[in-house]
Amino acid sequence: MSEDRSRILTMLAEGKITAEEAEQLLDALDARGGGAAPAAAAGEPAIKGDPKPLLEALPKFLYVKVNAENGDTVDVKVPLALVRSGLKLTSLIPPQAMDQINDSMSEHGMSIDFSNLKPEDIDELVEALREMEVNVDSANGDKVRVYTA
Amino acid sequence: MNMPPTILDLTITPNDGRRTHLWLPLFLLWPTFLVLFVLALAFTIIADLFLLVFGRRYHHYTLLLVRSMGVLNETRGMVLRFNDGNASVDMTFQ
Repeated sequence: MSEDRSRILTMLAEGKITAEEAEQLLDALDARGGGAAPAAAAGEPAIKGDPKPLLEALPKFLYVKVNAENGDTVDVKVPLALVRSGLKLTSLIPPQAMDQINDSMSEHGMSIDFSNLKPEDIDELVEALREMEVNVDSANGDKVRVYTA
Repeated sequence: MNMPPTILDLTITPNDGRRTHLWLPLFLLWPTFLVLFVLALAFTIIADLFLLVFGRRYHHYTLLLVRSMGVLNETRGMVLRFNDGNASVDMTFQ
């Protein structure tokens, strides 16, 4: 089973899309898989049919939900486009400022060197975010959920 | 690239139930931002030209400014909700 097909079925199973939308997506995927190479060679679009459902079904937001044991809640919805733009901006930060950022982050226990992030890596990272889901249930009752939809 | 957010929808609900709902018209700030952006753009272009002439490796302040504006524009659709037990705050960039 292809990765795209598997993702569509997962979204259906999770209730993120309806059965009808899943069918449309699978049809669009079949159309793309069946005639992608000849269509591209002939200068035609790689996806036959209406690609809108396929595009609309892609996650657009990153959700972060925190439910603390004491009742505090934080609920954040961030557009993935913002994540992508923000990460791409890191490649333009002046080196001196980037060194300070990296130092500050490592002081706080996050040893990420943003200067090593290349634009193609960022695209891959954001694509990977689309399939990410984090569920944390701590012993004291705090709950954290991070997912895309 | 999206349009910048036009309205900040802010709702503050304390525990006493007196809800405050504000629609802050961010679009009224656009002209001010535009003027500041143009001024900053002129400054960064000059700075980048000087840096380029003097052979500095980093001369991307103009690009940084433009991309920063792009990041600002992508905030449209962002939602922040906080509840600390005393009050809940709901911010939506529309």
